[in-house]
Amino acid sequence: MKRRTLLLAAAFGAVAGISQAQDFPSGSVDYIIPFGPGGESDITARFQQPHFSELYGEELVISYQPGGGGAVGWSQLNGMAGDGSKIMGINLPHIIVKPHQGDVGFQTEDITAVYMFHYTPDAIVVHADSPYQSLDDLIADAKANPNAVTFSGSGKGTANHLAQVQFDALAGIDTTYVSFQGTGASVTALLGQQVKAAWGYTTVGAAQGDQVRMLAVAMEERHPAFPDVPTFRELGYDMVSGAYRGIAVPNSASEEVRQQVSDAIAKINADPAFQKKMIDGGFALLDVGYGADMDAFMAEKSEGYLTAAREAGVIE
Amino acid sequence: MFEYILSALSPLNVIFALFGVAAGTIIGSIPGLTATMAVAVLVPITFSLAPESALILLGAIYTGAIYGGAYAAILLNTPGTPSAIATTFDGYPMAKRGDGDLAVSVACLASVVGGLVGALALLLLAPPLAKAALAFGPVEYFWLAIFGLSLIAALSTGDFLKGMIGAGLGILIAMIGISETSAEVRYTFGSQTLLGGVEVVSALIGLYCVPVLIDLVAKPERHLQEAEGTRGFRLPEAISVMMREKFNVARSSLIGTLVGALPGAGGSIAGLVAYSEARRVGKGDTPYGEGNPGGIVATESANNATVGGGFIPTLVLGIPGTPPDAVILGALLVQGVRTGPSLFSAGSDIVYTFMFGLFLATVLMLPVGLLIGRFAYGAIVKAPKSVLVPIVAFMTVIGTYAIRNNLSDVMIMVVLGVIGWVAKRRGFSVSPIVLGLILGRIAEQGFVQSWTIGSAIGDLWGQFFGRPLSMVIIALTCLSFIYPFWPRIRAAMAKDRVRAELAPRADSAAVARDALAIGAMGVVAAGALWLSFDLNPDAGVFPRTIATGMLALCILALILLFLTGRVTEETTEGSWPRRIAVPAVMMGAAFLVPILGFATAGILMGLALIVISQFESQSARAWTIQAVSVAVVILLFSVAFREALSVPLPQGMLY
Repeated sequence: MKRRTLLLAAAFGAVAGISQAQDFPSGSVDYIIPFGPGGESDITARFQQPHFSELYGEELVISYQPGGGGAVGWSQLNGMAGDGSKIMGINLPHIIVKPHQGDVGFQTEDITAVYMFHYTPDAIVVHADSPYQSLDDLIADAKANPNAVTFSGSGKGTANHLAQVQFDALAGIDTTYVSFQGTGASVTALLGQQVKAAWGYTTVGAAQGDQVRMLAVAMEERHPAFPDVPTFRELGYDMVSGAYRGIAVPNSASEEVRQQVSDAIAKINADPAFQKKMIDGGFALLDVGYGADMDAFMAEKSEGYLTAAREAGVIE
Repeated sequence: MFEYILSALSPLNVIFALFGVAAGTIIGSIPGLTATMAVAVLVPITFSLAPESALILLGAIYTGAIYGGAYAAILLNTPGTPSAIATTFDGYPMAKRGDGDLAVSVACLASVVGGLVGALALLLLAPPLAKAALAFGPVEYFWLAIFGLSLIAALSTGDFLKGMIGAGLGILIAMIGISETSAEVRYTFGSQTLLGGVEVVSALIGLYCVPVLIDLVAKPERHLQEAEGTRGFRLPEAISVMMREKFNVARSSLIGTLVGALPGAGGSIAGLVAYSEARRVGKGDTPYGEGNPGGIVATESANNATVGGGFIPTLVLGIPGTPPDAVILGALLVQGVRTGPSLFSAGSDIVYTFMFGLFLATVLMLPVGLLIGRFAYGAIVKAPKSVLVPIVAFMTVIGTYAIRNNLSDVMIMVVLGVIGWVAKRRGFSVSPIVLGLILGRIAEQGFVQSWTIGSAIGDLWGQFFGRPLSMVIIALTCLSFIYPFWPRIRAAMAKDRVRAELAPRADSAAVARDALAIGAMGVVAAGALWLSFDLNPDAGVFPRTIATGMLALCILALILLFLTGRVTEETTEGSWPRRIAVPAVMMGAAFLVPILGFATAGILMGLALIVISQFESQSARAWTIQAVSVAVVILLFSVAFREALSVPLPQGMLY
């Protein structure tokens, strides 16, 4: 059925010379998250889900394809149907750093990113009972006791890890990074005071409320949900970073499909109800659509992340 | 409080709970279909329904699925979910001797009681339990995993060394792929298929179910002993088992609740720990591991208690206790419910209604579970072998595929099945390998994290051995390791003639076979050791340690073998061509799927397996009936997976 429609559309397109706008979505859309449930990628996808069906009257079906820190999903993306029925979540720095760590089954260029819709700014988070009241307290302790300040974080070669390396260099300190599997495990260690602080995101502050304290956030301006938390820049450290998330389609997707998916995500991003949920959750919205914007964004981020990853010794 | 009970009991919610439990039980009974997947597929419903009702539905599916895992464990020796691993230890031997119906009823009662204890803890004790769970740091998770591994001693009393070597193999298999914490690519041999590692559920299916299928076709005997006449649910017997095991139920439900409250530990560890404890203190006519209902009681009450227990960190800390919790947490966030301690002090209608809904679902599981269990038992006991084998084989293939929508997982599953079968014949039982596979990753993460933290604070010794909680777990672990050997130790101390009970020397051919098998394990260990030197320190330390230990054990085993000449092995009779045909046909189907489509390849596999597992000559009519019914069942499964569960099965040329 689907195939026949496609054939017909192709035939008409050939006749008309310019392909007519194909309906998007032509049915339910599979939205594959290359991680397990419960992480930032999953939660934001769940936020998008009801708005998608509201806009199009079609379901956005979320499924999980975890493994290899996302590599299992991304290495299979281009084998999927490119008719707009399959979209996949993508994450920076993962898709940039991973292919440099070895053969992970995909190259950064293999991934057709069509929209980057939000990011989670890096933040230093401490337990509510922590003696660190400010970033200066933490830095003073780290200077007095090199390597004794322990940070939990999610994974290696990830935004959390790169942030730790970058900040150590900026502040001239040496700290210890303890890698956990996912933000949940990292935050559990922080709440149990197994570590002195965590490299997390602003979302951790939103989810944990007054059980934790954020010392600084790596944003250009303060986060609207946390007006009292300073940015690293205010404190004299030039650091604006985080994990960026978006949507990719298989590379067989036509220019038209790419644009349509990009437009769909843009529409959801423009919905005030969606924006409120995201901001309350500690996320920061971002609008980078398909085309020249995306190319420029990827080029800029690639350079920054690869430099940081080299300094971190994660890649050669 | 009362209004929440009332709203949980609205007719619509009762219907949802009923439907959820039934659907969950069926989904959980199919190896490969997990609670996570069922819940994830249904989350969008929560957007259009009243949130409480939707959450009750999700919770009911979750509870049902954890119980449903017991059916395949008991009747097919295949844990439907990792939580049911320990259910196979006694469940399958019970089924083999004709007590499968009793085992299923006992599992149902134990699950209901465990589920109620967990839900009660969630309702009354959630905030303090969540605080207690936070005292568990990386080092405690490490020791908890080691505690789970101590069960090897009990599971392999026949040959402890082989059990330890098998666990080493399982741990090394768990190291394959990109390490989640150190981001290093390990032991993939350049294969992209192995990048994501060996998926645990598909490994379980392969290691447990494929050997059963292989042995099933080798001989004409029926799969399970059929009971004479109908015996109903055997409920009075099941209840008297529960009464006899009341301390076991209480202890296991408590263990399940507490382990469930530890984020990331989950039902599999809870079941194993509860089983281990039940076995240590357990008495009874039948020893544990040979069909003692106490083993089912322990595992099933513990794993259903983790449902309520797992919601504790999910709701109090916003940190999901288990993967299905993570999906439900996402659904709650979309509904605008903010988790955290305030949820309990300020109260939230949705959450309290949900908790009572969980109670309701658990209670409803009693009649629903008994009925479906009765049906599952009847179907598997009565089905002729030539129908049972193709359908179960297809279920393992489609179930494995559905976990990550990945055909490579199916092939890995079949390969592991063959490895498991060979290992079992050579006296390496499968369970230690599985324990290593499941607990290896948890142990590694805890070990490396503790090492990093210990080095940072300059007190490695104190970090690993000095924390009070760790000391308790270490003590329990020692106890659990030594206990199975206690009778022998006592006999030795009483200066009995221990030597007298040693088995005689095996013939030289058997010694050579055994030496070859141990040698093969040694080669795997040496290879893993060799490759570990190329890894970065974080990624290499754990596999190196395990491989070194495994190599030492292999050498020790070889020395002992040549000194004592004692050999543990299984000998079986039956048809070799049929045996070899089973994995070959399954593998062939996996290759045909992308070309012909999932259902078509599945039907071809089914038809081939009918021929392979048929021992008597029969009429053309009987052949046709069998062929048609197998084909119809396989087609129905494919349609249900594709349409109802949204699994993207490859279409191929046909369907």
